[in-house]
Amino acid sequence: MRLHDEQVSALRQGALASASLLVGMVPWGIVAGVAMVSAGLTQAQAVAMSVLVFAGSAQLAVLPLLIVKAPLWVILATTLVVNLRYVIYSAVLAPHFGHLSRPWRALLSYITVDGVFALFAARFRPEDADPYKHWFFLGGSLVMWCGWQVSTSIGVFAGAMIPKEWSLEFASTLGLIALVMPLLFDRAVVWGAFAAGAVALAAAGLPLNLGLLAGIAAGVAVGLAVARLSPTKA
Amino acid sequence: MGEVAFGWMLITGMAVVAFLVRAVFILPGSRLRLPPTAERVLRYAPAAALVAIIIPDIALAHGVWAISIDNPRLIGGLAAFAIAAATRSILLTIVGGMLVFTLARILAGG
Repeated sequence: MRLHDEQVSALRQGALASASLLVGMVPWGIVAGVAMVSAGLTQAQAVAMSVLVFAGSAQLAVLPLLIVKAPLWVILATTLVVNLRYVIYSAVLAPHFGHLSRPWRALLSYITVDGVFALFAARFRPEDADPYKHWFFLGGSLVMWCGWQVSTSIGVFAGAMIPKEWSLEFASTLGLIALVMPLLFDRAVVWGAFAAGAVALAAAGLPLNLGLLAGIAAGVAVGLAVARLSPTKA
Repeated sequence: MGEVAFGWMLITGMAVVAFLVRAVFILPGSRLRLPPTAERVLRYAPAAALVAIIIPDIALAHGVWAISIDNPRLIGGLAAFAIAAATRSILLTIVGGMLVFTLARILAGG
């Protein structure tokens, strides 16, 4: 396939716009790579997880659960919940990409990440008829995809050389702490998060890690209740 | 089931879930809008899930509560919360939390 000049130009603009996001992503990818092998995945599995799942927060979130040998369905349910923000992105992006072929839509779905979504949503409106905006999205996403694969691979191979006593898998929990902080943007979310933590801790003795699911349910319920009672509607 | 086989099933399942949440509106080419209640639940759930993973991971040791200065994960985790709140930097949070955790681990003799 030969690309038109306009396609190459949009691809390049997207790539340049998201290059600045790499600064934040590369250290994060290295930590994720180290944490994946420290948590017990083989090197091949850790690399495969980055390629196939391609979702940093979910990749880190499942590691503490993998270590305590949680059942598969609990880990997959957690993957779903941690990735629920993508449902919102998908709804926002759908009108932009509705005219594209099915393989294009599948590719753009697979490769969606937070940073490029934010750049794209700030730059284009759904009613924009710009015929090359999906090339912009693809260019930005490919930069992030390559950055993620390279940085997690570095972590995977470095992680295999680091002694087990250093407990570097704990870095995944620390990464989640860094990740949750910007999510706590209003009172309802904060109260919901407190409730989730308290219930998860109180119910830690339940079998099948049901404490985790109980914590999530309690967190959502408390968040909704606080938002309803709060005088300033968020 | 062996650990390696479990790992592959996990990766396959996660790949399917991670693809479906991103494709749910894009792939069918849907023009549906999310109802506001759904949008709110989607806002609270991820923070709740992350905290529900973090807290037991730092406050339990071998399945029982370990709310004590002798628990290095708790000390490192609390330090990380403070660093994250103050700096909003992922890198500083991980490096700082890991340093405090390691120091606490050595002092606790583990």
